[in-house]
Amino acid sequence: MAEWDTYINVNFKDMPEEIEQVTVIRDLTPGKYKYRSTYAKIIVSKDPEKYPEKVWVRLGRGQLIPTPCSMKILEFVNIIPKGL
Amino acid sequence: MAYKYYKDNRAFIEACVKTGDAVVINEEVDWDLEMGAIVRRTCEKKGPAVLFKNIKDYPGFECVGAPIATYRRLAIAFGLDPDTPIPEISKEYLRRTTGKSYPPKVITNAPCQEVILQGDDANILNLPAPMVHDGDGGRYIGTWQFVVAKDLDTPFINWGMYRQMAFDEKTMAGPVLPFSDMGKMWHNKYQPKNIPMPFAVVVNPDPLSAIASCAPAQIAEDEFTSQLMGEPVEIVKCVTCDLYVPAHAEIIIEGVLVPNVTIDEAPFGEYTGYRTSPREPRTAYYVKAITMRKQPIMAMSNMGVPTDEGQLLRSFSLGLEMDKMLRDQGIPITGVHMLPESTHHLTVVGVKPAYPNIATQIGQLVFGSKLGPWFHMVVVVDEKTNIYDKDELIHALCTKCHPVNGIRVEPFGVGTPLNPFATPAERRLGVAGKVIFDCTFPLDWEASDIPIKVSFDNVYPKDIQEKVLAKWKTYGFKE
Ligand SMILES: Cc1cc2nc3c(=O)[nH]c(=O)nc-3n(C[C@H](O)[C@H](O)[C@H](O)COP(=O)(O)O)c2cc1C
Repeated sequence: MAEWDTYINVNFKDMPEEIEQVTVIRDLTPGKYKYRSTYAKIIVSKDPEKYPEKVWVRLGRGQLIPTPCSMKILEFVNIIPKGL
Repeated sequence: MAYKYYKDNRAFIEACVKTGDAVVINEEVDWDLEMGAIVRRTCEKKGPAVLFKNIKDYPGFECVGAPIATYRRLAIAFGLDPDTPIPEISKEYLRRTTGKSYPPKVITNAPCQEVILQGDDANILNLPAPMVHDGDGGRYIGTWQFVVAKDLDTPFINWGMYRQMAFDEKTMAGPVLPFSDMGKMWHNKYQPKNIPMPFAVVVNPDPLSAIASCAPAQIAEDEFTSQLMGEPVEIVKCVTCDLYVPAHAEIIIEGVLVPNVTIDEAPFGEYTGYRTSPREPRTAYYVKAITMRKQPIMAMSNMGVPTDEGQLLRSFSLGLEMDKMLRDQGIPITGVHMLPESTHHLTVVGVKPAYPNIATQIGQLVFGSKLGPWFHMVVVVDEKTNIYDKDELIHALCTKCHPVNGIRVEPFGVGTPLNPFATPAERRLGVAGKVIFDCTFPLDWEASDIPIKVSFDNVYPKDIQEKVLAKWKTYGFKE
């Protein structure tokens, strides 16, 4: 199971759960690619066991929520147009 | 005639090592927070710069941290003795930047193009960008770098130090504030027409180019750099576009700003000493090529509580550009000094109070200038107050500034989204209140009403002062 983190710009209690959302997730696998970011369509739950991927949540100014959540990655989304 | 300066940051750091103003760490360090923590601590202790020779996961790369976070290193960058006092360094900056200017000199076979990577090989995750502070929104590839860009419909070239976060292999993101020179090109010209804007990021430039890129220069920064050098700065044409970059830099990242696409960037430890601006959609940079030296040296400025480059260099050049502007306007100032510890929020202006309300006029001029968004406190002192002496400043502020009549508040000024004191709404809009502290005694007071400053040099006759000074050590004092 990979580990990820993500940022939310609302209070943790207001974090949207159980809905599909496009957001940025960061890969926390150690090595040169640690913190590589990607847009992805995901579903998050505060229940750490519910979905296959572990995701840590940080608030808008970097504050880490001490317990992890879980998420399902539905698809990766490329937002940069081709042919630049 | 060329002044003494360093053509590249390698030679500069070598000079700093010789004077004890930089240390070399040969032991392996982790780019993930360890390097950041070391640089943060040395900044807070006003300690030396650091050259990391051995970076985990990145053999073949080195990294320099806190290159010019002290006045000593600023003096060295100008080719001066590291002990040169601040007023003398300031004089040197004013002398050079009011002297002859030169167009840059184009060369070929530049050191910054010894290695050329394009296509999939131009992968920014192969560069040892540090995770500077725990909680930052990403690894910051651009903290001691600048972005070269050209205006869409004029020949204007801009070099501006605007931070960049590495997003993935090919993309970076960063704030391009609307009132910055590149912000005006990008937000007002390229982006509305949906035209990608070519850029070149110059990572770890020579010290004078770096100083120019974060100074509010009135002329194009390549010419400004040449003024600081006293001869043309050497530049080379990029490999993927018509931009030119300083030939002796360490790493160049070329690409285009992507119109009408934003990428979530930040939070990031900022020059105010806080992480203030939240994660937000910001300008997207798409990478096409990386060129660099063999054995390239990355660079990191670690912003946080004083003192870092953001505070020291910006205070230095903002203050001195204000000095030039006020003198150009004929205001009888004696000098301007911005305190780095104020995170370039407080500026001290010395003036001969020639007419009533001169302090207000000074405040309004500087707040109303291009420099105005970056600070919100102006303290005006008389010509006898030493603007560089913090004790004298506090004394003047607490004794000469009337708490009602001496403080002028302007509630509606231009600010930045980075101001920690600003309300969330003010930050979103980029507005800020401004305040002037008038520490001059009003001119309409009778001579007999004016308090007399009780200091050694003000209340003793000259001959007594001279006698005491001459015999000081024989009385038994050391200094
Ligand atoms: C280390 C450092 C980082 C900076 N980061 C930014 C930034 O991300 N965005 C910005 O608009 N200005 C930033 N600045 C300030 C600009 O470099 C500064 O305003 C400079 O004068 C560019 O000005 P110009 O836009 O007028 O050319 C930074 C300055 C320093 C020293």
